[in-house]
Amino acid sequence: MTGNDLAIRYRAIHKAFDHPVLQGVSLDIRTGEMFALFGPSGTGKSVLLKTTLGLITPDRGDVEVAGHSVYFGGDGSLDQVRQLVGYVFQNAALFDSMSVYRNVEMGLPEERLRSMEKREIARAIWEAVDLVNLEPKAVLSKLPAELSGGMRKRVGIARAIVGRPSILLWDEPTTGLDPVNTAAVERLIKRLSEELQVTSMIVTHDVEGALLMCDRVAMLEGGGVRFCGSPEEFEASDDPVVKAFVDRAAAEAALDVVEMS
Amino acid sequence: MQNDAFFIKPVRAIGRWWEAWAEHAGQIGLLVWATGVSLVRMRISMREFVRQLYVMGAQSIPIVFVTAILSGIVTSQQGGYQITSTIPIYVLGSVTVTSIVLELAPVLTAIVLVGRVGARITAELGTMVVSEQIDAYHSLGRDPLVVLAAPRILAGLVVMPALVGFSNAAGIGSGMVAANLSVGLSAETFLYGARLFWHSWDLFYSFMKSVAFGFAIPVIAIHMGLRTSGGAAGVGSTTTASVMFQTLTVLILDALFPPLFLQ
Repeated sequence: MTGNDLAIRYRAIHKAFDHPVLQGVSLDIRTGEMFALFGPSGTGKSVLLKTTLGLITPDRGDVEVAGHSVYFGGDGSLDQVRQLVGYVFQNAALFDSMSVYRNVEMGLPEERLRSMEKREIARAIWEAVDLVNLEPKAVLSKLPAELSGGMRKRVGIARAIVGRPSILLWDEPTTGLDPVNTAAVERLIKRLSEELQVTSMIVTHDVEGALLMCDRVAMLEGGGVRFCGSPEEFEASDDPVVKAFVDRAAAEAALDVVEMS
Repeated sequence: MQNDAFFIKPVRAIGRWWEAWAEHAGQIGLLVWATGVSLVRMRISMREFVRQLYVMGAQSIPIVFVTAILSGIVTSQQGGYQITSTIPIYVLGSVTVTSIVLELAPVLTAIVLVGRVGARITAELGTMVVSEQIDAYHSLGRDPLVVLAAPRILAGLVVMPALVGFSNAAGIGSGMVAANLSVGLSAETFLYGARLFWHSWDLFYSFMKSVAFGFAIPVIAIHMGLRTSGGAAGVGSTTTASVMFQTLTVLILDALFPPLFLQ
């Protein structure tokens, strides 16, 4: 596989907080694919995702995004990476003091903002909000506190896609949502990935949903990659740890359905 | 072996304490440097700067006004009580004005701002850290120091001298009225006494103090806010620590001023 085929390459990532979390994680995410990352809580899935944009610095190792080294390429390289990647945060991470309009506007790179006319900016924001199935007229002037949890998530997605990135990172996009909203957000992820032709890497606990929509999946466990392959291979895996994880995920999904009904 | 442990423990504790302070100092240094660079390059969010001028300045006027009025009244009345027949009564004007300009207006205004503005900044930025809003700024290629820190520090530098000037005027005015009501000192006599021992340097001294406090309060508040971790409880404990740190800094700076500038 050539470097051009790879959107993201994690190279032997090590990270410890008060205990080791990632111990030499290496993963390749191919251009254009939808990739899901699973694992029990505390195995470093979100930590790995955050190393992609330098939000958490690994103790050792490097990340390459579209050929740019995040940790050995200097500030310019990291700036370029941040323009290529859109990040959807677990709880949307919207700026409380700004309107939805200003929040989404922040997703446009500063240099582009300077060269754009007000009308162009407004159109880009309108389109991004429309793409995530929100009514622009109704929400753009509101503050994040005036929106429901599902709407906040969508605004967070709109902010991530407004700059038209080529890679989208999703950190637990369905956490905290009810099953109906979970299904809606998953459909949205699938649709956006196809319409915008982006590479998507999703950290999620919703194994069932991710297996349906992703091209490849990986599972982190014990500080390393326990499994990496297609959803079919994941479900058919003989590895007892993977099997136990799949069974537990299925049981949790069933419990969600019971609670919902 | 026991003797070793006896000596090593306190040495380690002192080492950790110094390490923590060195970390604070280093991070504050970087914060100030980054803010300075963004100011020099004119990379500052004007929208946020204007918002901070309003929040830190305009919204603080009522509480600063009340504090200044009350401190002026108390200083004048207590000064009047201490002046006996051997001291000319017009000295009260000088005592009141000097106390307010040199000490009370800058320090009390600073303490009010620590509680009203410093705590707010730490809590606000701390909440932004734990809710990943600071990470969001980074992920969008924006420097949170440019967007959040520089406007607050610049606003502190502008607002604090203005508030202290206002506090000086309100405190002197209320002191003059209180002197008239409590010991029957006329406004003319009060001002005569004030002018008799007046040094223009005192006003500059008051201004320098206000600039120092106006710089220190937001810098420490921002620094502590950006160090927050541990969810809502972390925001609470960091805000408390920040208020204590800011208050101590104001008082230490205040103590450094007389030997440096009143010799």
